[in-house]
Amino acid sequence: MSDVPMPRPDEPLVRVRGLSTRLGGKVIFDALDLDIPRGSITALMGPSGTGKTTLLKHITGQMRPDAGEVWVDGRNVPELGRDALFALRECIGYLFQNSALLTDFDVFENVAFPLRQHARLPEELVRNIVLTKLQAVGLRGAARLLPSELSGGMARRVALARAIVFDPMLILYDEPFVGLDPIALNQVLKLIRTLNQTLGITSVLVAHELSAVRRVADRVHLLANGKIVAAGAPDELARGESDWTKQFFGGEADGPVPFHYPAGDYARELGFDGGAA
Amino acid sequence: MNGRFLRGGYLADALAQVGAAGLFFFSILGALPKSLRYVRETVRQVWFVGAMSLVIIMTCGLFVGMVLALQLYHTLSIFGGTEALGTVVALSLLRELGPVVTALLFAGRAGTSITAEIGLMRATDQLAAMEMMAVDPIAYVIAPRFLAGVIAMPLLACVFNALGIFGGHLVGVTWLGIDNGTFWGNMTANVDLWDDVVNGVWKSLAFGAVVTLIGVFQGYTTPPTSEGVAYATTRTVVFSSIVVLALDFVLTAFLM
Amino acid sequence: MTQRRSYAVGTGLFIVLGFAALAYLATQTTSVANYRQGDSYAVKARFGNVGQLKLRAPVKIAGVRIGSVASVQLEPEKLDALVTLSIDKRFHEIPDDSSAVIFTSGLLGDQYVGIQPGGSPEMLKDGDELILTQSALQLEDLIGKFLVNGSGDANKKPAPTQGTTKPAGGA
Repeated sequence: MSDVPMPRPDEPLVRVRGLSTRLGGKVIFDALDLDIPRGSITALMGPSGTGKTTLLKHITGQMRPDAGEVWVDGRNVPELGRDALFALRECIGYLFQNSALLTDFDVFENVAFPLRQHARLPEELVRNIVLTKLQAVGLRGAARLLPSELSGGMARRVALARAIVFDPMLILYDEPFVGLDPIALNQVLKLIRTLNQTLGITSVLVAHELSAVRRVADRVHLLANGKIVAAGAPDELARGESDWTKQFFGGEADGPVPFHYPAGDYARELGFDGGAA
Repeated sequence: MNGRFLRGGYLADALAQVGAAGLFFFSILGALPKSLRYVRETVRQVWFVGAMSLVIIMTCGLFVGMVLALQLYHTLSIFGGTEALGTVVALSLLRELGPVVTALLFAGRAGTSITAEIGLMRATDQLAAMEMMAVDPIAYVIAPRFLAGVIAMPLLACVFNALGIFGGHLVGVTWLGIDNGTFWGNMTANVDLWDDVVNGVWKSLAFGAVVTLIGVFQGYTTPPTSEGVAYATTRTVVFSSIVVLALDFVLTAFLM
Repeated sequence: MTQRRSYAVGTGLFIVLGFAALAYLATQTTSVANYRQGDSYAVKARFGNVGQLKLRAPVKIAGVRIGSVASVQLEPEKLDALVTLSIDKRFHEIPDDSSAVIFTSGLLGDQYVGIQPGGSPEMLKDGDELILTQSALQLEDLIGKFLVNGSGDANKKPAPTQGTTKPAGGA
């Protein structure tokens, strides 16, 4: 069980239990449970503002939850000290929504950055590792460009190369498809799948693009109101009968997620109540 | 807003800011040993913070020295004491104007660029990315900039003073015709290495620490929006100027 | 890599420039350079009142600087001020019956020790004492004399602003 320190191969890589978080008085998570099996590609979907990115931050320890456990590879993240957390993060790749490349360095140095920080490797080896990773994302030729000279899709691929430079066990993708043209989107999709299949990297992606998710994810978790409201294979979920899945995958404007932000009585606010007449 | 003001909310906010900046200062100190690994980054920052401020510092130093000589010559000639011009120019620069004006210029030139740079790194998730790559941003980004500011500021103040005295000499001796020997002789007789030159260096060291601390703190804590960064740079200049002048009074009272 | 090197070189130049400026300030604006002239000899002189004479004030003959004041001390027995003058070795031919006078440069300027050469064939040596001295002219005394007409009570200090305008108006 959870108090066994050594991870077992059949145990989920990420195991969230009873996660509760409030942000600015708003409930983000309410006793959320989630398992992410090793070697899988799991998509987290849900209406905007349901805390998908926040969940990723809990998994990587960037934010501490108010209550609950987040086990990653046999370690309970909220309880880790800074050093243990940093040690864990070396095995996790994280792809930021806006790539978050270091603007001071060129593409090569960006990918080399984690290597230079954590390993004292001969320059020759650094070069080879970096070029291998850049080749994997198809940007070996762009090694000496600066981040400002890259398109959005290229920047995301560089960020991906940086995220996999240490061959992590887990990669978290925060909205990897946003703002990409169909070509770049396909390139990123292909990379996610290749990395998962060839290196066995467990992947978690937060995304809104159902069509893209369908082509890559093994499982989809639908988050709403601080809980997982539906889970399953993408196609299964798309055919689902619950109100949540219908609204979300059917793209209906009104449903469990209301079109109207909670407000007082419309007529009264416009002054059409009985007293004024 | 008014209600907050009446309840003393602004005062509490200001105190909270000062407290947070103080804690931030200690976390920088705590990260300094770790940041020794990033000597290269510190060197690079000395270049950006120090060397890139040289032109403005030198120009302003020259003009401040020239204006000072003109003004003081006018005043001194009332008392028939124009031979003291060298002394007065040197003392005003070394003890007061050098450290203070350099600190104010430094806040405008280097402090704002530090705030904007760190604020943008925050807004574009670069700081979070470092966290995720298990690199402590305080050790890698903040501490080298802080160190660079502390190193660069006294050097800039010295350059400012040297140029200022040169400017004073230019106006006093070359233009207004004070005897060269009198100018320097009076100066050397009355300027003390420890009381004047070195105290000025101490002052500028303190100003460098304060201005850079404000710069990195404002950048690090800015809301990650373009508006937030804009306000943060403004705050850097405003707070730096106030703190430098207030601290100048305190230091002068203690060092005199 | 080359980019990094150029930063390092530039930063190095900047730091050298900064320290050069500090060295310039330390040596050119202060009298540290004068200490360094090193070879000097000490001559003593007693004054009834040294006024505002400060350490390192210049010592001059005929207006030319030949040394500086090394120390100002109170002689407990005689209750007068013992001033040690440090004079450059180059000026070793000063008659030993020369007199030392404390002058003020300008109306409000700093005070210095002026030496008025005597006619003795013997020259001053290290450790000698100048017998003939004249104390500092106290502005307060002068003003006091001027106002009260004769009484030279040094304790009685009229307000300086009043004092400076009065004699000027009278003269």
